[in-house]
Amino acid sequence: MSEATHDSGAHGSDDVYQHLQAIHPDPESFIRRWIFSTDHKVIAKQFLWVGFGFLFFGGMLAMMIRWQWAFPGEEVPSILGGAFLADTGGVIGPATYNTIFTMHGLIMIFWAITPLMIGAFGNLCIPLMVGARDMAFPTLNMLSFWTFAVSAVLIIASFMVEMGSAAAGWTTYPPLSTNVGTPGYGQTLVVLAIFFTGSATIMGAVNYIATVMRLRAPGMGWMQMPLTVWGMWLTAVLNLLFVPVLAAGAVLLIMDRSFGTTFFIAGANGNGDPILFQHLFWIFGHPEVYILILPVWGFIGDLIPFFSRKPAYWYRGSVYAMILVSVLSAVVYGHHMFWTGMNPLLGQSFMLLTLVISVPAEMLFLNWLHTMWKGSIRLTVPMLFALGTIFVFGLGGLTGIFLGTISTDIYLHDTMFVVGHFHLTMAAASFLGTFGAIYFWFPKMFGKKMNVGLGKAHFWISVVTITLVFVGQMVAGYAGQQRRLWDPFQYTFLIHLADLNRWTSYFAFTLGVGQLLFVVNWFKSIFAGEKADENPWEIGTLDWTHAPSPPPHHNFDVIPRVYNGPHEFANPEVKRLLGRDWLGQAEPFPTDAAAGAEGGAAAAKASGDA
Amino acid sequence: MKVNHWILKAVVALGAFLAGTSSASAEVQPEAVPLWGWLPDFPRDVSVDGWRIDWLIDVTMVFVVVLFVIMCVWMFWACFFHNEDHEADYDHGSSQHSVITALVISSVVFLIMDGTLLVNSIVDLDQAFWNFDLAENLEDENGREGKGDPRPECGAEGSPTDGTCAVRLEVNARQWAWQARYAGLDGEFNTPDDVEVLNDIVVPAGSPVIVQLAATDVIHAFYLPNLRAKMDAVPGMINRLWFRSKDDARGDFDLGCAQHCGTHHYKMKGKLTIVSQEDFSAWLGEASQTAARAFDINDVNNHWGWSWARGGNG
Repeated sequence: MSEATHDSGAHGSDDVYQHLQAIHPDPESFIRRWIFSTDHKVIAKQFLWVGFGFLFFGGMLAMMIRWQWAFPGEEVPSILGGAFLADTGGVIGPATYNTIFTMHGLIMIFWAITPLMIGAFGNLCIPLMVGARDMAFPTLNMLSFWTFAVSAVLIIASFMVEMGSAAAGWTTYPPLSTNVGTPGYGQTLVVLAIFFTGSATIMGAVNYIATVMRLRAPGMGWMQMPLTVWGMWLTAVLNLLFVPVLAAGAVLLIMDRSFGTTFFIAGANGNGDPILFQHLFWIFGHPEVYILILPVWGFIGDLIPFFSRKPAYWYRGSVYAMILVSVLSAVVYGHHMFWTGMNPLLGQSFMLLTLVISVPAEMLFLNWLHTMWKGSIRLTVPMLFALGTIFVFGLGGLTGIFLGTISTDIYLHDTMFVVGHFHLTMAAASFLGTFGAIYFWFPKMFGKKMNVGLGKAHFWISVVTITLVFVGQMVAGYAGQQRRLWDPFQYTFLIHLADLNRWTSYFAFTLGVGQLLFVVNWFKSIFAGEKADENPWEIGTLDWTHAPSPPPHHNFDVIPRVYNGPHEFANPEVKRLLGRDWLGQAEPFPTDAAAGAEGGAAAAKASGDA
Repeated sequence: MKVNHWILKAVVALGAFLAGTSSASAEVQPEAVPLWGWLPDFPRDVSVDGWRIDWLIDVTMVFVVVLFVIMCVWMFWACFFHNEDHEADYDHGSSQHSVITALVISSVVFLIMDGTLLVNSIVDLDQAFWNFDLAENLEDENGREGKGDPRPECGAEGSPTDGTCAVRLEVNARQWAWQARYAGLDGEFNTPDDVEVLNDIVVPAGSPVIVQLAATDVIHAFYLPNLRAKMDAVPGMINRLWFRSKDDARGDFDLGCAQHCGTHHYKMKGKLTIVSQEDFSAWLGEASQTAARAFDINDVNNHWGWSWARGGNG
């Protein structure tokens, strides 16, 4: 705890902060205001809308995959996307199936979850929560969105070229992803799109990192930041370090596809090294799965104390655990490649390092559970989604250890067990966590409240069905079913799993249909929602205490000075003096004539402990 | 890799103790016991070492379920009893007591659950899946400790084909078929009497089968679910694996591709037939003589084999 935090009195030095982040006038023209906007809140909404569009697209592809596994080779109903299969009379052929699962994975990861979670909420939350008027580099921020938009156009274009879009799996392993396996422009366009969206991500990451490091409100030390900001910052650091590696792999792959090189082509067609690509891909790819979960850890790290009305349990422990996971994420990627012919000693090292990740993960879980324990829990919609995230992430995290261990991975590798496992973490946990964030920050974004009844119905139907879908997939994998089979029941040993696959699909369809509850709630609330005041959740972070809902272009009329940690709840002294159970981050500890000295001491202790 | 360092041995002993069983000294080879009767089980295990995988998965599953149930009870209990009628404690959880509690719980769970996995996995790799010495030398009782050299008659070249030595198999994966090659009666690969099969591999029951894997076009993965065996076939590389079926195993089993390899990945299916050692010997002898008679030097598509690679990747 720095002394600076407590230099109460007239904050002459704070003028510098106001001065350095001048208030710019609101943009006048429609284009500058809503399209080529540099306002982080508008850019957040742009990412949000595009992300929703691709979430719907990727979700429809998922429904088609599930249809195929339930009823292989049967005509797809138009409502599940059969209308797009006019060429084959609504039937998914093996080649189309490969395109569907490939693009489902890529779209969900790079064009749905990434823009929704990181693009939208990174942009919205970071400046508001650290008390900045905008991102450090607003123009770069705009460029980031529009580079992302180019990649989105490339993705859509890839479906329209001859032979269709990419079909080599989301991992894009060569030689299958070279002309040896997938000729045509579709795959090239998709790899190019990955390169573009990676560039957008890097621009965003630079912005997030700089904003958190340079634009925190006076008095806000690293250990007074909301955990959401910590999650976003660590995600940005991982993105900045590892997305360039993916981009390098993508460039080399494009050269193999279009310029006749053979970096990754071996066997009958060249003398390159296909495994080199896997190294490049997974050096990025393993951090990527933490990139897609760290922001969610941040959300639930904040939402749990917010709605347990209790300080976050061992805040520093959660921060250290997230840092440790980020560091370890860089040195475990080999567990994706145990069966590529990896050196045994190297494989065992990767196994050990992978298992070590259990320790920080357990610390996080313990902190969340301890925070709830002896709290005063309010089961609001965002809280329900946070609890649902813990539930599915518990399942997903625990099942990861089977795959990080070499001998059990012999059997489980490349089976549906892997699919179920990573969907529970990257899809279910990221998806529920992001919905928690949407329900939580919706009032701040739009100045309206969302419907609670619809929100709770959406939660229950989502958490139940999403668990059943991915646990069903894990059971299929436990019984040996490989991934990515157009018709799994060609194999004798899988025939008895037909019912299991069909039931899993029914749950998936229910999950898909259940999202209509959200769509209805979303539009209803935007157009006819009850008006939300500045701080409907009674939370102490700067976004809720110092910015109206929705915030003006410059966020804060006066950049506030921070005194407390983000989760100051249940302080008996605050209750006695203010009659409420929370204390704002920018609120000096209350004093009255009688309890002045005592209160000041408690405040010092409170922020010191945080 | 051998377990000979005392630290490693101590860790092995600790892991075996924690798991409540000693896989290190297990002479029995139990059948995998399904934990929940209503869930689909593993495919029938016809291998000698598959129980190691099944057992470790099931034991870990117990740990996982227990931890998950504890987490859920904790969470639901808090939601029901520490609700808005309950006054929240003012506790930052940053006291020394809280921190030590959290660290101890995390470490204990890690040591027990992850420790069991790690130790058993290393033991299993060492005693079975990655112990190619054992595969070469199975008839020798000392082989389990990996001491003796392979029996001279089971050497790299010219092994007897009566089923008493390891069966050597070269497999080349291509879109969308499994080409396999036996050395034939002379025990040497790339000679006219090599026996070539397509999607139809025959192995003798009880003998170790060592497979060297390559691929022509894209990456495939050789997957024998009933033998708990899997390995990538990568263009430009020779990977290897070995497995051994139980003495009394007979019949046809699925050979699958586990790595997405293009349009007809789902159809890249082969058959593994396990026969008695006598039947295998008779079949191979006849097939090898037929192959030698039918050998055509100009049929280049048939000459994809390689000299048996020593060492190599695990």
